[in-house]
Amino acid sequence: MADRSKTIKVDYLARVEGEGALHIDYDDSGVQNVQLKIFEPPRFFEALLRGRDYLEAPDITARICGICPVAYQMSAVHAMENALNLKPGGALRMLRRLLYCGEWIESHMLHISMLHAPDFLGYPNAVAMAKDHPEIVKNALEIKKAGNALVRLIGGREVHPINVRVGGFYKVPEARELTALVAQLEMARGLTEQLVRWSAALPFPSYEWRRDNHYEFVALTHPSEYPMNEGRITSSAGLNISAQDYENHFAEEHVAHSTALHCTLRERGAYLVGPIARYNLNRDKLSPRALQLAEEINFTAPCLNPFQSILVRSLEVLHAFEEALHIIDRYQPPAEPHLKTEPRTASGCAATEAPRGLLYHRYDIDEKGKITTAKIVAPTSQNQKTIEDDLRLMLPSFMHFPEDKLQGLCERAIRNYDPCISCSTHFLQLHLNYGQAQSKQSMVTGKPGQPPAR
Amino acid sequence: MHEQNLIKNLIDKIQELASDEPGRPIGVRLRLGALAHMSAAHLREHFDREILGTSLEGIKLEIDELKDINHKEAQDVILESLKFEETDGH
Repeated sequence: MADRSKTIKVDYLARVEGEGALHIDYDDSGVQNVQLKIFEPPRFFEALLRGRDYLEAPDITARICGICPVAYQMSAVHAMENALNLKPGGALRMLRRLLYCGEWIESHMLHISMLHAPDFLGYPNAVAMAKDHPEIVKNALEIKKAGNALVRLIGGREVHPINVRVGGFYKVPEARELTALVAQLEMARGLTEQLVRWSAALPFPSYEWRRDNHYEFVALTHPSEYPMNEGRITSSAGLNISAQDYENHFAEEHVAHSTALHCTLRERGAYLVGPIARYNLNRDKLSPRALQLAEEINFTAPCLNPFQSILVRSLEVLHAFEEALHIIDRYQPPAEPHLKTEPRTASGCAATEAPRGLLYHRYDIDEKGKITTAKIVAPTSQNQKTIEDDLRLMLPSFMHFPEDKLQGLCERAIRNYDPCISCSTHFLQLHLNYGQAQSKQSMVTGKPGQPPAR
Repeated sequence: MHEQNLIKNLIDKIQELASDEPGRPIGVRLRLGALAHMSAAHLREHFDREILGTSLEGIKLEIDELKDINHKEAQDVILESLKFEETDGH
Protein backbone atom coordinates (compact mmCIF):
# COMPACT_ATOMS: atom_id res chain seq x y z
CA MET A 1 0.00 0.00 0.00
CA ALA A 2 2.80 2.38 0.96
CA ASP A 3 4.34 2.43 -2.52
CA ARG A 4 1.06 3.31 -4.19
CA SER A 5 -0.13 6.83 -4.22
CA LYS A 6 -2.29 9.30 -6.06
CA THR A 7 -1.88 13.00 -6.56
CA ILE A 8 -4.68 15.52 -6.69
CA LYS A 9 -4.23 18.90 -8.29
CA VAL A 10 -5.35 21.74 -6.09
CA ASP A 11 -4.16 25.14 -7.36
CA TYR A 12 -5.14 26.87 -4.18
CA LEU A 13 -3.80 30.33 -3.49
CA ALA A 14 -2.61 30.58 0.09
CA ARG A 15 -3.29 33.97 1.60
CA VAL A 16 -2.56 35.82 4.77
CA GLU A 17 -5.94 36.23 6.38
CA GLY A 18 -8.10 35.37 9.32
CA GLU A 19 -5.92 36.97 11.95
CA GLY A 20 -8.85 38.02 14.09
CA ALA A 21 -11.60 35.85 15.51
CA LEU A 22 -14.62 36.95 17.42
CA HIS A 23 -16.25 34.47 19.80
CA ILE A 24 -19.77 35.29 20.92
CA ASP A 25 -21.31 33.06 23.61
CA TYR A 26 -25.04 33.54 23.85
CA ASP A 27 -28.19 31.77 24.95
CA ASP A 28 -31.89 32.52 25.18
CA SER A 29 -31.30 35.08 27.90
CA GLY A 30 -28.87 37.10 25.79
CA VAL A 31 -25.21 37.60 24.96
CA GLN A 32 -23.10 36.12 27.75
CA ASN A 33 -19.56 36.66 26.63
CA VAL A 34 -17.63 38.30 23.81
CA GLN A 35 -13.95 37.63 23.15
CA LEU A 36 -11.96 39.26 20.40
CA LYS A 37 -9.12 36.85 19.72
CA ILE A 38 -6.20 38.56 18.09
CA PHE A 39 -3.43 36.52 16.59
CA GLU A 40 -0.53 38.88 17.03
CA PRO A 41 2.76 37.04 17.36
CA PRO A 42 5.27 38.69 19.65
CA ARG A 43 7.49 41.10 17.77
CA PHE A 44 9.87 41.74 20.64
CA PHE A 45 10.41 45.42 19.87
CA GLU A 46 10.84 46.27 23.52
CA ALA A 47 13.50 43.55 23.86
CA LEU A 48 15.03 44.51 20.52
CA LEU A 49 15.59 48.05 21.76
CA ARG A 50 17.57 46.95 24.80
CA GLY A 51 21.28 47.49 24.29
CA ARG A 52 20.76 49.79 21.29
CA ASP A 53 21.92 53.39 21.25
CA TYR A 54 19.38 56.00 22.35
CA LEU A 55 19.72 57.71 18.96
CA GLU A 56 18.48 54.55 17.23
CA ALA A 57 15.12 54.48 19.00
CA PRO A 58 13.22 56.66 16.48
CA ASP A 59 14.34 54.58 13.51
CA ILE A 60 13.74 51.24 15.20
CA THR A 61 10.33 52.12 16.60
CA ALA A 62 9.26 53.56 13.23
CA ARG A 63 9.32 49.97 11.99
CA ILE A 64 6.57 48.97 14.39
CA CYS A 65 3.94 50.26 11.98
CA GLY A 66 3.99 51.06 8.28
CA ILE A 67 0.88 53.22 8.60
CA CYS A 68 1.76 55.30 11.66
CA PRO A 69 5.57 55.25 11.95
CA VAL A 70 5.67 58.96 12.78
CA ALA A 71 3.64 58.34 15.93
CA TYR A 72 6.23 55.87 17.17
CA GLN A 73 9.07 58.21 16.24
CA MET A 74 7.44 61.16 17.97
CA SER A 75 6.77 59.26 21.18
CA ALA A 76 10.31 57.86 21.14
CA VAL A 77 12.09 61.19 20.61
CA HIS A 78 9.93 62.96 23.18
CA ALA A 79 10.61 60.24 25.72
CA MET A 80 14.37 60.39 25.06
CA GLU A 81 14.32 64.17 25.31
CA ASN A 82 12.38 63.90 28.54
CA ALA A 83 15.20 61.68 29.83
CA LEU A 84 17.88 64.10 28.62
CA ASN A 85 15.99 67.20 29.75
CA LEU A 86 15.85 68.62 26.24
CA LYS A 87 12.92 70.55 24.86
CA PRO A 88 13.17 71.49 21.19
CA GLY A 89 10.97 74.48 20.58
CA GLY A 90 10.24 76.98 17.86
CA ALA A 91 10.60 75.74 14.30
CA LEU A 92 11.76 72.25 15.37
CA ARG A 93 8.61 71.79 17.41
CA MET A 94 6.46 73.09 14.57
CA LEU A 95 8.15 70.80 12.04
CA ARG A 96 7.37 67.81 14.22
CA ARG A 97 3.76 68.91 14.37
CA LEU A 98 3.78 69.33 10.60
CA LEU A 99 5.17 65.82 10.16
CA TYR A 100 2.44 64.49 12.44
CA CYS A 101 -0.16 66.33 10.31
CA GLY A 102 1.13 64.41 7.30
CA GLU A 103 0.78 61.12 9.11
CA TRP A 104 -2.74 61.84 10.36
CA ILE A 105 -3.74 62.64 6.77
CA GLU A 106 -2.10 59.50 5.38
CA SER A 107 -3.41 57.17 8.03
CA HIS A 108 -6.93 58.55 8.33
CA MET A 109 -7.41 58.61 4.56
CA LEU A 110 -6.25 55.03 4.23
CA HIS A 111 -8.73 53.97 6.86
CA ILE A 112 -11.58 56.10 5.53
CA SER A 113 -11.25 55.09 1.90
CA MET A 114 -10.03 51.51 2.12
CA LEU A 115 -11.97 50.24 5.12
CA HIS A 116 -14.68 52.56 6.32
CA ALA A 117 -16.28 53.83 3.12
CA PRO A 118 -16.78 50.35 1.58
CA ASP A 119 -18.51 49.32 4.81
CA PHE A 120 -20.99 52.17 4.61
CA LEU A 121 -21.64 51.77 0.90
CA GLY A 122 -22.01 48.00 1.05
CA TYR A 123 -18.90 46.85 -0.80
CA PRO A 124 -16.46 44.17 0.29
CA ASN A 125 -13.48 46.40 -0.40
CA ALA A 126 -12.31 49.64 -1.99
CA VAL A 127 -11.57 48.01 -5.35
CA ALA A 128 -15.19 46.89 -5.69
CA MET A 129 -16.39 50.27 -4.45
CA ALA A 130 -14.23 52.13 -6.95
CA LYS A 131 -16.12 50.63 -9.89
CA ASP A 132 -19.33 52.38 -8.84
CA HIS A 133 -17.88 55.34 -6.89
CA PRO A 134 -14.60 56.20 -8.59
CA GLU A 135 -14.75 59.81 -7.42
CA ILE A 136 -14.64 58.81 -3.75
CA VAL A 137 -11.53 56.68 -4.18
CA LYS A 138 -9.89 59.17 -6.54
CA ASN A 139 -10.43 62.10 -4.19
CA ALA A 140 -9.30 60.07 -1.19
CA LEU A 141 -6.08 59.18 -2.97
CA GLU A 142 -5.50 62.83 -3.88
CA ILE A 143 -5.95 63.83 -0.25
CA LYS A 144 -3.64 61.06 0.90
CA LYS A 145 -1.02 62.10 -1.63
CA ALA A 146 -0.82 65.50 0.03
CA GLY A 147 -0.16 63.79 3.36
CA ASN A 148 2.48 61.64 1.70
CA ALA A 149 4.15 64.77 0.34
CA LEU A 150 4.46 66.24 3.83
CA VAL A 151 5.89 63.05 5.32
CA ARG A 152 8.26 62.61 2.39
CA LEU A 153 9.62 66.15 2.63
CA ILE A 154 10.06 66.31 6.40
CA GLY A 155 10.60 62.64 7.16
CA GLY A 156 12.82 61.80 4.22
CA ARG A 157 10.48 59.20 2.76
CA GLU A 158 6.77 58.38 2.85
CA VAL A 159 6.93 55.14 4.80
CA HIS A 160 9.16 54.54 7.80
CA PRO A 161 10.66 58.05 7.68
CA ILE A 162 14.34 58.34 8.53
CA ASN A 163 14.89 62.03 9.23
CA VAL A 164 13.63 62.20 12.82
CA ARG A 165 16.35 62.52 15.43
CA VAL A 166 16.52 62.92 19.19
CA GLY A 167 16.83 66.70 19.61
CA GLY A 168 15.22 67.55 16.26
CA PHE A 169 15.91 66.33 12.73
CA TYR A 170 18.93 65.27 10.72
CA LYS A 171 18.01 67.80 8.06
CA VAL A 172 15.36 70.51 8.02
CA PRO A 173 13.56 71.75 4.90
CA GLU A 174 14.05 75.15 3.44
CA ALA A 175 11.04 77.47 3.48
CA ARG A 176 10.68 77.31 -0.30
CA GLU A 177 10.41 73.53 -0.16
CA LEU A 178 7.45 73.80 2.18
CA THR A 179 5.88 76.65 0.23
CA ALA A 180 6.03 74.49 -2.88
CA LEU A 181 3.51 72.17 -1.23
CA VAL A 182 0.93 74.86 -0.49
CA ALA A 183 -1.10 74.55 -3.71
CA GLN A 184 -1.36 70.78 -3.29
CA LEU A 185 -2.35 71.12 0.36
CA GLU A 186 -5.00 73.75 -0.43
CA MET A 187 -6.46 71.59 -3.19
CA ALA A 188 -6.57 68.59 -0.85
CA ARG A 189 -8.13 70.73 1.89
CA GLY A 190 -10.97 71.58 -0.49
CA LEU A 191 -11.51 67.89 -1.26
CA THR A 192 -11.48 67.17 2.46
CA GLU A 193 -14.29 69.65 3.08
CA GLN A 194 -16.33 67.67 0.56
CA LEU A 195 -15.31 64.51 2.37
CA VAL A 196 -16.57 65.84 5.70
CA ARG A 197 -19.96 66.71 4.19
CA TRP A 198 -20.13 63.32 2.48
CA SER A 199 -19.25 61.54 5.73
CA ALA A 200 -21.92 63.47 7.61
CA ALA A 201 -24.59 62.17 5.23
CA LEU A 202 -23.72 58.48 5.65
CA PRO A 203 -26.36 56.15 7.08
CA PHE A 204 -24.98 55.55 10.56
CA PRO A 205 -26.36 52.54 12.46
CA SER A 206 -28.55 53.80 15.26
CA TYR A 207 -26.37 52.75 18.13
CA GLU A 208 -24.95 54.96 20.84
CA TRP A 209 -22.76 54.42 23.83
CA ARG A 210 -25.14 55.09 26.69
CA ARG A 211 -23.84 57.67 29.07
CA ASP A 212 -24.54 55.28 31.94
CA ASN A 213 -22.23 52.71 30.35
CA HIS A 214 -19.46 54.87 31.75
CA TYR A 215 -17.32 54.90 28.66
CA GLU A 216 -14.27 56.85 29.62
CA PHE A 217 -12.65 58.80 26.81
CA VAL A 218 -8.89 59.28 27.22
CA ALA A 219 -6.76 61.66 25.16
CA LEU A 220 -4.07 64.25 25.47
CA THR A 221 -5.22 67.80 26.15
CA HIS A 222 -3.08 70.83 25.42
CA PRO A 223 -3.90 74.34 26.65
CA SER A 224 -4.11 75.84 23.16
CA GLU A 225 -3.72 73.12 20.52
CA TYR A 226 -5.63 70.15 19.23
CA PRO A 227 -3.31 67.50 20.69
CA MET A 228 -0.67 65.73 18.66
CA ASN A 229 2.80 65.68 20.17
CA GLU A 230 2.14 66.76 23.70
CA GLY A 231 -0.31 67.57 26.43
CA ARG A 232 -1.61 66.16 29.67
CA ILE A 233 -3.35 62.81 29.70
CA THR A 234 -6.98 63.62 30.44
CA SER A 235 -10.27 61.77 30.45
CA SER A 236 -13.99 62.39 30.44
CA ALA A 237 -14.06 61.10 34.03
CA GLY A 238 -11.68 63.75 35.30
CA LEU A 239 -8.28 62.12 34.88
CA ASN A 240 -5.62 64.80 34.45
CA ILE A 241 -2.07 63.53 34.72
CA SER A 242 1.31 63.98 33.09
CA ALA A 243 2.86 61.24 30.95
CA GLN A 244 5.27 60.62 33.85
CA ASP A 245 2.28 59.46 35.88
CA TYR A 246 0.88 57.14 33.19
CA GLU A 247 1.99 53.84 34.72
CA ASN A 248 0.55 54.78 38.10
CA HIS A 249 -2.90 54.89 36.53
CA PHE A 250 -2.79 52.46 33.60
CA ALA A 251 -1.88 48.77 33.62
CA GLU A 252 -1.34 46.18 30.89
CA GLU A 253 -2.40 42.60 31.45
CA HIS A 254 -2.26 39.32 29.60
CA VAL A 255 -5.57 37.63 28.85
CA ALA A 256 -5.87 33.97 27.94
CA HIS A 257 -7.79 34.42 24.71
CA SER A 258 -5.56 36.96 22.98
CA THR A 259 -1.91 37.50 22.29
CA ALA A 260 -2.49 41.27 22.36
CA LEU A 261 -2.25 42.83 25.79
CA HIS A 262 -5.25 44.48 27.41
CA CYS A 263 -4.66 47.84 29.03
CA THR A 264 -7.00 49.20 31.69
CA LEU A 265 -7.29 52.17 33.96
CA ARG A 266 -6.36 50.82 37.38
CA GLU A 267 -9.23 52.66 39.03
CA ARG A 268 -11.97 52.02 36.52
CA GLY A 269 -11.19 49.39 33.89
CA ALA A 270 -11.85 49.80 30.17
CA TYR A 271 -11.44 53.12 28.42
CA LEU A 272 -11.36 54.48 24.89
CA VAL A 273 -8.56 56.25 23.02
CA GLY A 274 -8.57 57.45 19.42
CA PRO A 275 -10.27 60.04 17.25
CA ILE A 276 -13.61 60.06 19.08
CA ALA A 277 -11.90 60.42 22.46
CA ARG A 278 -9.69 63.22 21.09
CA TYR A 279 -12.66 64.97 19.55
CA ASN A 280 -14.82 64.67 22.65
CA LEU A 281 -12.11 66.15 24.85
CA ASN A 282 -10.73 68.74 22.42
CA ARG A 283 -13.47 69.77 19.97
CA ASP A 284 -13.12 73.45 20.88
CA LYS A 285 -9.48 73.39 19.73
CA LEU A 286 -10.18 72.24 16.19
CA SER A 287 -8.98 74.63 13.49
CA PRO A 288 -11.45 77.38 12.54
CA ARG A 289 -12.67 75.73 9.33
CA ALA A 290 -12.95 72.29 10.87
CA LEU A 291 -14.89 73.68 13.81
CA GLN A 292 -17.08 75.76 11.53
CA LEU A 293 -17.85 72.74 9.39
CA ALA A 294 -18.60 70.61 12.47
CA GLU A 295 -21.12 73.25 13.53
CA GLU A 296 -22.56 73.50 10.03
CA ILE A 297 -23.33 69.77 9.98
CA ASN A 298 -24.54 69.97 13.58
CA PHE A 299 -21.94 67.53 14.84
CA THR A 300 -21.50 68.26 18.52
CA ALA A 301 -19.53 66.68 21.35
CA PRO A 302 -19.62 64.26 22.93
CA CYS A 303 -19.93 61.94 19.97
CA LEU A 304 -21.41 58.74 21.39
CA ASN A 305 -21.97 56.72 18.23
CA PRO A 306 -18.84 54.66 17.46
CA PHE A 307 -19.86 54.37 13.80
CA GLN A 308 -19.36 58.13 13.47
CA SER A 309 -15.63 57.78 13.93
CA ILE A 310 -15.36 58.15 10.13
CA LEU A 311 -16.80 61.65 10.52
CA VAL A 312 -14.35 62.53 13.27
CA ARG A 313 -11.47 61.25 11.14
CA SER A 314 -12.63 63.42 8.25
CA LEU A 315 -12.73 66.47 10.51
CA GLU A 316 -9.28 65.64 11.84
CA VAL A 317 -7.93 65.44 8.29
CA LEU A 318 -9.35 68.88 7.61
CA HIS A 319 -7.82 70.12 10.84
CA ALA A 320 -4.45 68.65 9.84
CA PHE A 321 -4.49 70.49 6.51
CA GLU A 322 -5.32 73.78 8.18
CA GLU A 323 -2.68 73.23 10.80
CA ALA A 324 -0.11 72.32 8.13
CA LEU A 325 -0.86 75.42 6.07
CA HIS A 326 -0.71 77.57 9.22
CA ILE A 327 2.71 76.16 10.12
CA ILE A 328 4.10 76.51 6.60
CA ASP A 329 2.90 80.12 6.46
CA ARG A 330 4.96 80.98 9.54
CA TYR A 331 7.96 78.71 8.99
CA GLN A 332 11.45 80.07 9.45
CA PRO A 333 14.15 77.38 9.32
CA PRO A 334 15.84 76.82 12.67
CA ALA A 335 19.50 77.78 13.13
CA GLU A 336 20.42 74.13 13.69
CA PRO A 337 18.53 71.00 12.60
CA HIS A 338 18.77 69.55 16.09
CA LEU A 339 19.78 70.37 19.62
CA LYS A 340 23.03 68.95 20.92
CA THR A 341 22.48 65.71 22.80
CA GLU A 342 24.67 64.09 25.42
CA PRO A 343 23.73 60.72 26.89
CA ARG A 344 23.53 60.21 30.62
CA THR A 345 21.97 57.69 32.95
CA ALA A 346 18.33 58.69 32.95
CA SER A 347 14.71 57.66 32.45
CA GLY A 348 12.15 59.38 30.30
CA CYS A 349 8.66 58.90 28.99
CA ALA A 350 6.19 60.58 26.67
CA ALA A 351 2.72 60.19 25.24
CA THR A 352 1.58 61.44 21.85
CA GLU A 353 -1.58 61.09 19.81
CA ALA A 354 -1.14 58.46 17.11
CA PRO A 355 -3.92 58.58 14.51
CA ARG A 356 -5.63 55.73 16.33
CA GLY A 357 -5.06 57.03 19.83
CA LEU A 358 -2.78 57.62 22.77
CA LEU A 359 0.68 56.10 22.43
CA TYR A 360 2.99 55.82 25.43
CA HIS A 361 6.76 55.18 25.47
CA ARG A 362 9.19 54.91 28.38
CA TYR A 363 12.95 54.33 28.20
CA ASP A 364 15.81 53.92 30.63
CA ILE A 365 19.29 54.63 29.26
CA ASP A 366 22.71 54.20 30.82
CA GLU A 367 25.65 56.63 30.95
CA LYS A 368 26.73 55.63 27.43
CA GLY A 369 23.25 56.11 26.03
CA LYS A 370 22.47 52.41 25.72
CA ILE A 371 18.81 51.59 26.21
CA THR A 372 18.33 49.34 29.25
CA THR A 373 14.51 49.34 29.37
CA ALA A 374 11.86 50.11 26.78
CA LYS A 375 8.11 50.08 27.29
CA ILE A 376 5.67 50.82 24.50
CA VAL A 377 1.89 50.86 24.94
CA ALA A 378 0.09 51.07 21.60
CA PRO A 379 -3.49 52.32 21.13
CA THR A 380 -4.85 48.91 20.14
CA SER A 381 -4.02 47.30 23.46
CA GLN A 382 -5.65 50.24 25.21
CA ASN A 383 -8.85 49.88 23.21
CA GLN A 384 -9.15 46.13 23.04
CA LYS A 385 -11.16 45.70 26.22
CA THR A 386 -13.47 48.50 25.15
CA ILE A 387 -13.96 46.85 21.75
CA GLU A 388 -15.12 43.68 23.51
CA ASP A 389 -17.34 45.61 25.93
CA ASP A 390 -18.76 47.57 23.03
CA LEU A 391 -19.68 44.43 21.10
CA ARG A 392 -21.15 42.81 24.20
CA LEU A 393 -23.43 45.81 24.75
CA MET A 394 -24.26 46.30 21.09
CA LEU A 395 -24.92 42.71 20.03
CA PRO A 396 -28.19 42.01 21.91
CA SER A 397 -29.90 44.53 19.62
CA PHE A 398 -28.64 42.76 16.52
CA MET A 399 -28.61 39.02 17.34
CA HIS A 400 -31.76 38.54 15.24
CA PHE A 401 -29.73 39.39 12.12
CA PRO A 402 -28.79 36.57 9.74
CA GLU A 403 -25.26 35.36 10.43
CA ASP A 404 -23.63 37.03 7.43
CA LYS A 405 -25.22 40.36 8.28
CA LEU A 406 -24.22 39.98 11.90
CA GLN A 407 -20.64 39.25 10.87
CA GLY A 408 -20.60 42.35 8.69
CA LEU A 409 -21.85 44.47 11.56
CA CYS A 410 -19.21 43.07 13.93
CA GLU A 411 -16.49 43.77 11.37
CA ARG A 412 -17.73 47.33 10.96
CA ALA A 413 -17.92 47.82 14.72
CA ILE A 414 -14.32 46.66 15.16
CA ARG A 415 -13.10 48.72 12.21
CA ASN A 416 -14.54 51.81 13.87
CA TYR A 417 -11.57 51.60 16.17
CA ASP A 418 -9.05 51.19 13.36
CA PRO A 419 -7.06 48.70 15.43
CA CYS A 420 -3.41 48.18 14.51
CA ILE A 421 -4.01 44.52 13.78
CA SER A 422 -4.23 42.64 10.59
CA CYS A 423 -7.87 41.86 11.25
CA SER A 424 -8.69 45.47 10.48
CA THR A 425 -7.80 44.69 6.90
CA HIS A 426 -8.19 40.93 6.52
CA PHE A 427 -10.67 39.95 9.17
CA LEU A 428 -12.81 37.98 10.62
CA GLN A 429 -13.77 34.55 11.78
CA LEU A 430 -17.05 34.77 13.63
CA HIS A 431 -17.79 32.01 16.14
CA LEU A 432 -21.37 32.08 17.37
CA ASN A 433 -21.66 29.75 20.32
CA TYR A 434 -25.15 28.96 21.54
CA GLY A 435 -25.16 27.64 25.10
CA GLN A 436 -22.29 26.27 27.15
CA ALA A 437 -21.98 22.75 25.66
CA GLN A 438 -22.11 23.96 22.09
CA SER A 439 -19.69 26.69 22.94
CA LYS A 440 -17.05 24.15 23.86
CA GLN A 441 -17.67 22.12 20.72
CA SER A 442 -17.44 25.20 18.56
CA MET A 443 -14.16 26.20 20.06
CA VAL A 444 -12.72 22.79 19.28
CA THR A 445 -14.02 22.45 15.76
CA GLY A 446 -13.71 26.09 14.84
CA LYS A 447 -17.20 25.95 13.40
CA PRO A 448 -20.09 28.11 14.47
CA GLY A 449 -22.58 26.79 16.94
CA GLN A 450 -26.27 27.22 16.46
CA PRO A 451 -26.91 30.21 14.24
CA PRO A 452 -28.70 33.19 15.65
CA ALA A 453 -32.43 33.60 15.34
CA ARG A 454 -33.48 34.72 11.89
CA MET B 1 3.86 37.14 11.61
CA HIS B 2 2.36 37.04 8.14
CA GLU B 3 4.36 33.95 7.23
CA GLN B 4 2.96 32.02 10.16
CA ASN B 5 -0.58 32.88 9.24
CA LEU B 6 -0.05 32.05 5.60
CA ILE B 7 1.27 28.63 6.56
CA LYS B 8 -1.65 28.12 8.90
CA ASN B 9 -3.94 28.93 5.99
CA LEU B 10 -2.14 26.30 3.90
CA ILE B 11 -2.29 23.68 6.62
CA ASP B 12 -6.01 24.29 7.09
CA LYS B 13 -6.57 23.80 3.37
CA ILE B 14 -4.49 20.63 3.24
CA GLN B 15 -6.32 19.18 6.22
CA GLU B 16 -9.65 20.08 4.68
CA LEU B 17 -8.71 18.31 1.45
CA ALA B 18 -7.24 15.37 3.32
CA SER B 19 -10.46 14.83 5.20
CA ASP B 20 -12.20 14.11 1.87
CA GLU B 21 -9.66 11.52 0.77
CA PRO B 22 -9.45 7.92 1.95
CA GLY B 23 -5.65 7.83 2.08
CA ARG B 24 -3.09 9.55 4.26
CA PRO B 25 -1.45 12.68 2.79
CA ILE B 26 2.22 11.98 2.16
CA GLY B 27 3.36 14.82 -0.08
CA VAL B 28 2.61 18.43 -0.82
CA ARG B 29 3.85 20.51 -3.73
CA LEU B 30 3.87 24.32 -3.60
CA ARG B 31 4.66 27.00 -6.16
CA LEU B 32 6.51 29.97 -4.75
CA GLY B 33 6.36 33.16 -6.81
CA ALA B 34 9.57 35.03 -7.60
CA LEU B 35 8.29 38.09 -5.74
CA ALA B 36 6.64 36.27 -2.85
CA HIS B 37 7.58 37.77 0.49
CA MET B 38 9.56 34.77 1.70
CA SER B 39 12.27 32.46 0.50
CA ALA B 40 11.86 28.73 -0.02
CA ALA B 41 13.99 28.04 3.04
CA HIS B 42 11.93 30.41 5.14
CA LEU B 43 8.72 28.83 3.89
CA ARG B 44 9.99 25.33 4.64
CA GLU B 45 11.10 26.30 8.13
CA HIS B 46 7.68 27.71 8.99
CA PHE B 47 5.90 24.76 7.39
CA ASP B 48 7.96 22.19 9.29
CA ARG B 49 7.34 24.04 12.53
CA GLU B 50 3.61 24.35 11.96
CA ILE B 51 2.97 20.67 11.19
CA LEU B 52 4.74 19.38 14.31
CA GLY B 53 2.27 17.37 16.35
CA THR B 54 -0.40 17.41 13.65
CA SER B 55 -1.67 14.64 11.37
CA LEU B 56 0.58 16.11 8.67
CA GLU B 57 3.82 15.59 10.57
CA GLY B 58 6.28 13.84 8.26
CA ILE B 59 4.63 14.94 5.05
CA LYS B 60 7.12 15.61 2.23
CA LEU B 61 7.21 19.22 1.09
CA GLU B 62 8.31 20.12 -2.44
CA ILE B 63 8.62 23.76 -3.45
CA ASP B 64 8.84 24.92 -7.06
CA GLU B 65 10.47 28.32 -7.07
CA LEU B 66 9.23 30.47 -9.95
CA LYS B 67 11.86 32.76 -11.40
CA ASP B 68 9.76 35.00 -13.62
CA ILE B 69 9.05 38.28 -11.85
CA ASN B 70 6.46 39.13 -14.50
CA HIS B 71 4.49 35.93 -13.96
CA LYS B 72 0.91 36.55 -12.86
CA GLU B 73 1.56 34.50 -9.74
CA ALA B 74 4.87 36.18 -8.98
CA GLN B 75 3.71 37.39 -5.57
CA ASP B 76 1.79 34.29 -4.59
CA VAL B 77 2.20 30.99 -2.81
CA ILE B 78 0.14 28.31 -4.52
CA LEU B 79 -0.75 24.89 -3.21
CA GLU B 80 -0.33 22.97 -6.44
CA SER B 81 -1.04 19.37 -5.52
CA LEU B 82 -1.32 16.86 -2.74
CA LYS B 83 -0.10 13.29 -2.83
CA PHE B 84 -2.02 10.65 -0.92
CA GLU B 85 -1.15 7.15 0.10
CA GLU B 86 -3.57 5.00 -1.82
CA THR B 87 -5.66 2.59 0.18
CA ASP B 88 -6.51 -0.95 -0.91
CA GLY B 89 -9.23 -0.99 -3.48
CA HIS B 90 -8.33 2.40 -4.94
